This record gives sequence, C-alpha cells and structure tokens, in this order.
Amino acid sequence: MLRFTANVLFGVSLLAFVARAAELDADALIARLGRETPARIAFAEARFSPLLDRPIIVSGELGYQGGTSLERIVTSPFRESTTIRGEAVSVQREGEAPRTFALRRAPELRGLLAAFGGLLAGDGPAVKKDFGVAVSGSDQAWALELTPLDARVGRRLKRILVSGTGNEPSCFSTFTVDGGATVLMLGAATDTEVPPDATLESLLGRCRAE
Amino acid sequence: MKQTLAAWLVLALWTAGLLALAVFGQRHLAVSADLRLFLPSPTTPEQRLLLEEIGEGPASRALVIALQGGAPERLADVSREMVESSATSTSFRWITNGDVAFDAFPENLLAYRFLLSPTFDAQALDRDYLSAEIAARTRDLSSPAGLVLEPLIARDPTLELLALLQRWQPTQEPRREFDVWFDQAGERALLIGETRAAAFDPDAQRAALGELERAFESADRDDGMTMTVSGTGGFSVLMEARTRGEAQSIGRAATIGMLLLLLVAYRRIGSVLLSALPLVTAGLAGLAVVSTAFGSVHGITLAFGFTLIGVAQDYPLHLLSHRRADLTASKIARRLWPTLATGLASTCIAYLTFLFSGVLGLEQLACFTVTALAVAGLTTRFLLPLLMSTRGPDYGASEPLGRLWRALVALPRPSWAGLALLTIAVIAIATARQPFWENDLAKLTPVPADLLAQDRELRTQLGTADLRYLLVVGAATEEAALAHLESIDGGLRSLVDQGAIGGYDHAALYVPAPATQRARQAKLPDADSVRAAVAAAQSGTSFRLGVFEPFIEDVARARALPPLTVDVLRGTALGARIEMLLIGAEGGTTALVTFNGVADPAALRAFGASHAGVTFLDLKESSEALVAKQRARILWSLAVASLLLIAVVSFSLRRPERVYRVLLPMALTTVVVVGALQALGISMNLFHLISLVLVAGLGLDYALFFEHAADDPAEQRRTLHAVLVCSLSTSLVFVLLAASSLPVLRAIGLPVAIGVVTNFVLALLMTRPPASSDARAR
Repeated sequence: MLRFTANVLFGVSLLAFVARAAELDADALIARLGRETPARIAFAEARFSPLLDRPIIVSGELGYQGGTSLERIVTSPFRESTTIRGEAVSVQREGEAPRTFALRRAPELRGLLAAFGGLLAGDGPAVKKDFGVAVSGSDQAWALELTPLDARVGRRLKRILVSGTGNEPSCFSTFTVDGGATVLMLGAATDTEVPPDATLESLLGRCRAE
Repeated sequence: MKQTLAAWLVLALWTAGLLALAVFGQRHLAVSADLRLFLPSPTTPEQRLLLEEIGEGPASRALVIALQGGAPERLADVSREMVESSATSTSFRWITNGDVAFDAFPENLLAYRFLLSPTFDAQALDRDYLSAEIAARTRDLSSPAGLVLEPLIARDPTLELLALLQRWQPTQEPRREFDVWFDQAGERALLIGETRAAAFDPDAQRAALGELERAFESADRDDGMTMTVSGTGGFSVLMEARTRGEAQSIGRAATIGMLLLLLVAYRRIGSVLLSALPLVTAGLAGLAVVSTAFGSVHGITLAFGFTLIGVAQDYPLHLLSHRRADLTASKIARRLWPTLATGLASTCIAYLTFLFSGVLGLEQLACFTVTALAVAGLTTRFLLPLLMSTRGPDYGASEPLGRLWRALVALPRPSWAGLALLTIAVIAIATARQPFWENDLAKLTPVPADLLAQDRELRTQLGTADLRYLLVVGAATEEAALAHLESIDGGLRSLVDQGAIGGYDHAALYVPAPATQRARQAKLPDADSVRAAVAAAQSGTSFRLGVFEPFIEDVARARALPPLTVDVLRGTALGARIEMLLIGAEGGTTALVTFNGVADPAALRAFGASHAGVTFLDLKESSEALVAKQRARILWSLAVASLLLIAVVSFSLRRPERVYRVLLPMALTTVVVVGALQALGISMNLFHLISLVLVAGLGLDYALFFEHAADDPAEQRRTLHAVLVCSLSTSLVFVLLAASSLPVLRAIGLPVAIGVVTNFVLALLMTRPPASSDARAR
C-alpha cells in the first residue's frame, strides 16, 4: 500500500515536472543564459561553406566583457585574435598588422554579434528587437531559433540556432542564405574532438544531444 | 524747364529712347563674376593652362564638406547617406567620404584588375603565391570577416580588387572612423565633392551648394548636426553676393546723396531731374554697347561704370551752373563746349588705351566708360539745352560765391609749395616698406580671412590636392602621356620618401600606359598553367575542387583584353577623377600631377627641371608674373595716352603757358595720390591704376574750367559753383566706395576720393593768377 502511494506520488511529481518543463518561456530562457562578466569560455567552431568540401575547424577561447565587448582568440590550427568593441572590429593575425573595419560595413555580422551579445547578457527584449525568437524543446534540451527582422541582415543571414541544456548554451549555429553555416560549440561541447570530415548534420545532432 | 511744345517733344522722344535702351539692356544683360576677366588674356598654351587651372582645375572644383555636432557613428551614417544621394547628382561629378565601396569599380571590368594592379610586376602568379593567398582566405573564412568576404573569394581569391581600391585612396589618408573620413580630432566627418561647373561660375556653384543643403536636410540626421561647405566655388558665390549687395547699397546711398546735393545746389527739382537725363542715357548706352560687343558685363565693370555717376554728372552740372538770364541755354552750351570737349576727349583717350591692354575686363571697362562719357557729353551739348529754360538762379550774381572766390584766390601760394608737395610725395613713395606693385591676386578676394583659414585647415586634414603646385606633362597622345607619367613615378615616390611632398596623384596610377598593361598581360600564365597552379595550391585545403573556376576564367579573359583606356571608364566615379588629371586637346594631351602636403617646393621645381617634358607650375608665381607682364604693357599704353593728351590739350589751348597751367595740377595730383597710397601702406594694383586715370581726367576737367573762367567775375563765380558741386558729387560717390569692405571697390574709391580734393585745390590755385594780378587786370 505504501509502495503504491509512493509510486503514485512519484508518478504525479514526475508528471508535474514534465509538464512544467514543457512550458519554456523564451525571455526566461534567455535570461538564464546571461553570463557574469567577465566570462571566458573555450570554443570550437566549424565553418561550412559552398566553397568548401570539408569544414574549417578552429578552436580557442572566447572572452565576454559585457555590453558589446567581445574577444575571440583562436589558438588552433593558427593564431588569431579578434576584438570587437562596440562598432569596431579588429583582427590580428600572427606576424601581420591588425586590420580594423566597422560593423556598419557588414550588417550581417552586426546582426550576428547583436544576437550573440544579447544572449550573453541575458537580455531577451534586446534580442527580440532584431530577431524573431522561437523556442522549442524542454529544459534539458532546448533550442532557440532566431530569424533576422532587418532586411539588410537577412540578405546574408538566414537564421541562428542556439541549443543547450539548462542554463548552458552548448552550440550557436549560424546559417547563411547561400547554404553556408557556422557551428560554434561552447564549453562542455568542446570536450569531444571535432573530426575533420564532420558534416553539418552530425554536428547539429551532437548539439541537440549535448 | 522750357515750357514750349518743342521742349516737351524732345523730352518725350528722349524718354522713349531711354526706355528702348533699358529694355534692350535688360534682355541682353548677362553679369559675370569671373575675376579672371581682369587677368590678362592667355596667349601661350601654358598661360591658358594656368588660367584654366585657377578656375577649373581639379583642386579648385573640390568642395570640402564637414559634418559636426553629433555622435561620430551618426555623423558617419549621414556621411554615407550623402554619398549615396550624390549618385543622381547633376551638380557633382562625385562625392567621396573614404568609404571603400566594392561597386566603385564596374563589375564588367573586374578582369582588368590584373592589368591595373602592380602586384604581379614583381610577384609571379604561381603556385606558391596562390598557396599563400588561399591559406589566408581559409583563415579569413573562419573569422568574423569571412561573412563579408565570402562572396568575393571564388572570383578574386587574391583580393586584388580590394588592394586596388585601397591603392586609389589618397596616400595621406585622414583619420577613419566607422570606415569614413574624419578630422584628426575625430569630431567632424569629412567629405570631398567635385563639382561639374568651374569654380568661378557662381550660379552653377550656388546650385551645387543648394543640392548639398537639400541632401543634408533630407538625410536621417540628429538635431544639432550642422554642415559646413568650404571651397573656391563656395567663395565665388559669397563674393558675388557680397559684391552685388555692396554695389546695390552704395548705388542707393550715392543716388540719394546726389539728389540731396543737387537739390541744395540748384534748389529746383526741375534742374535736378534734367541733370539726371544725360546721366541715365549715358549709363544705359554704355551697358547696351558693352552687352552687344562682349556678350556679358563683369560685375566690377558694372560697379565702376556706375561710379561714373560722379564723373559724367559733371557735364550737365557745368551747363546748369553756368545758366544766365541773358543767354539761351544753347548759346551757353556752345560757349562751354570747347572746354567740355577737351576734357571729354582727354579722358576718353586715356580710357581708350585700356582697349589695347589685353585684359578682357579692362576692355569692357574702356568700352563702357568711353561710350558713357561721350554720350553724356554729347547729350549735354545738344539735347539738354533744348529742354533748359533761362529762368533760374544765376550764380554769377551770388555774393557768397564771390566772397568764397576772393578768399580762395587770396590764399598764399608760395612757388615752393608745389615743389614741396612733390618732394613729400616722392619721399613717401621711396620710403614705403611694402612693394610698390601688388602682384598677389589673392589680396583682391573679399573672402574673410577666417573662412580662408578654415578652408586651408580642412584641406590639410583631408590631404586634398594642393591648389598651388602642379607638374605638367605634355605629350602627343594619351598613351605617350601615361607612359611618361609612369617613367617619373619612381622619382615622385622618392620625393614622398624624402618628405618633400606628402603625396601625389596622376592618371597613370589609375590607368597604366598600354605598354605596361600589355607587359602585364604577357606575364599572366595561360589558363592551363593557372588551373594547374590553383589545383596544386588548393590541395590540402578545405576548398572544393573547381571553386576557383571564375578566377581562372578572369585570368584567361585578362590575357586577351585590349588595354584599358580612360574612355572606357567614362561615366564612372573613377573616370571623373581621371578626366581631371588627363586633359585631351587637338594639339595633344596634357597630364597633370597634383600634390598634397607640399613641404619643399624647391625640390619639386628641381624635379621638373631635371626631367624632360615635365614643367613645374607654381600657380601663384605664374599668375603674378603674368600680372606684372601685363601691367608693363598697360603702363606703356598709358604713357602713349599721356602724350596724346598733351597733344589734345595743346591743340585746344594753343598757348604753352596755358597748357602748362592746366597740365601741372593734374600731374602733381597723380604723384600726390600715389604718395598718399604708399604712405597708407597700400601696394598698387590694376584697379588703383584705373582710378588714377580717372583722377587725371577729373583734374584736367577742373583745371580746364578754372582756366577758362578768365577774368569775368560772374563767370568765375559760376565756374566755382560748377566745380564745387562737381567735386562734391564725385567725392560723395567715391568716398562711399573707399569705405567698402571689398578690396576691389576700395581700390577704385580711395585714389579718386583723395584725388578729387587735391585736384580741386591745386586746380584752383595753380590755374588762376594770384589775387593781386587779378585785381590789377580788373
């Protein structure tokens, strides 16, 4: 009798738990993604393009200093450091002089960085200003789909897919209009090595499973 | 006025004639404000080029635009919007803000990049080079910049187009924020626009400025943002407006003053109105003749012409002042005519010499003046007496005038006084610290110094082409010109390295000589070699096989292209820039090398001297030399005119001592005026010279009339009245001019203002025998 009650209670709480997990609010989810600054996180990125027959895979560290201040330091297979401060992007490669350009010149890039910055800040309304946000999945395996609202951004950028577990985003996937894509894996997702011949589907699958 | 039918008829006809002239003038009058009309007309190709460059060269057509009063990011946005709006502009060839737009180079000419870029002169397009480039593109793809570069990589993996566009940016680049030009402090966004119209075309420049205003208004800007436009075109608009404004206000003041003066002098409105008739006729006739002969009238000619109010007015005034009850007006006119005609003829001779000066503006002036004076004199002699009645005050009976006359002739006039005056004047001239002649055209500009300084500052920030120094390369064909430019390019680059110049620009930097293009073509590998090199370079990278096919096609296409000429680029923004640097004419092609940041002009001069076919042009120096040469010519014609003048006066007066008495005051006045100007620290320019001629003419008039007054006291008083009113009216007009803020009008007004007073005094004292001998004669 006791066992039966315990089972029922357990089942009910499980149901309740599942039910709760089923309603995911985009704003709340984004808010939970907010990082404390400064934050450093390891990353691995796979770049797919119609020009390429296999992805270009780089890895390194990302730094987030709050606002629109981002740093991307690539350590393998070459050394490169990209600093983004507000509207100016500065790229420095080993042995070369730094090159600067303005984000205004590349609205697609600006859109992407706006999404990234908004998510890292946990600012849902800011992200919603530039993107249409659709959330799916459960608390353990959620996915945010961002579609650009600005036509200039939408010329190149088709959509951004953010997937993760709980409070941790594990992958940022960017899809361009011409069929290219970039999959940025963060934190724990970088533990497993990315094979050089990985396909987009396999990586996306990995992101979903993580 | 005479109250007869005949008189009214004459008046009616005269007025009708005036109206006809006015209508004619109105329809045909075109006013020009081009100061170059007062520069000598070019006789050599070099002089022609010089004058073209001053007014129409690329540096003079450039307008510098500064945007301030907002956040830099927003200013950059507005800057970009203004460049976009210029694509459909009618007034501007192009407006640039430093933004490197990929679409600046036409898509269909992209294959030409291999012929235009110097990259492959030293570097072979081989496997090693391609390996390095493709590896770099791999990294670019994986970086944030990849999003932007990705569409370009397939066709242009070596990013040659980007390199070309960056090469074509000025060497001395201003500071960049958000990819557009800013000033050193980063507070003002800077743009340069090149107008289609020449700098000295105020109407077209005004249209261009209006266009900029509208573009600025309609841009998405924040409150508090302001725009400043600076440049030769803007200044010429400013100059024209100010000249017109001042001329109008001076004209108004002069007219009112004159009317008041005449009312006081003659006390009857009828007299005043009558005296206006010859004047108005003179003005309209002068305008009509100049419009017909020259097509347009320069603003300065117009201004000077209307100051003749003070001079042509003299003729009717003499007639009115000599009115007497016992003689009809016609008889009076006949008596006065010899004196009047002598004065008229002398002044006209002096101005006629300007017709041979070779300066268009002066020729217009001569035409206007001679016509106006002749018409004034002739209408006074023949038409005005028909309208004048004998009623009216006879100034010969005026007691106050009699007292004044006796007082004046009783003034001590020691014989050494004239000599003393002459000596003082000569000392003043000799000890003057400034140069005697003013050769610098820049001194004639009425543009306020602070605007000029601002313009200089903005141009320095932008590194725009220097307005002053040029190298001119002449050649028979465009090809030869480009080849020549290329041959001196190395030398120019070393000048930059030495620090003699900040940067340079010429057509061959954009479009290499056909020979160079063909040489580059020959160096390009054939399609198979390129394909093999690409394949080899690509192996091991992630790039798909065949992805660089568009690149291979471009190389193959480039091998077969005809060399790029300036013609092909016509209509593009790039073409507009090159057109200004390469001027084609029937005699051949002239290529210009413009500079910015010239620190050492002597090095440039030496460079020009050491290279055949290259001429160094210092616009300031050359224009000054031109002015000086022409001035010599004018002075010679004036010398001839003086001789003619002496001849005319001698013929009219017969006796040598009379001639001497009449000419001496005039000569002395001229020296005194020059001495006074020098003592005031003023260097003489062309306009001072013109005014001196007028002063001499006036002096001659006064002296002739005083001399003619002979011994009849009544006549003496009438003459005194006439010359008093004449000199007062003339001084009124020219003192107004001397007080103007425009250097040109001041240069015309000041000598005459000083000269009138001196003339009056000297003419009176020197032509009249002393009071004692006067009394003895009576």
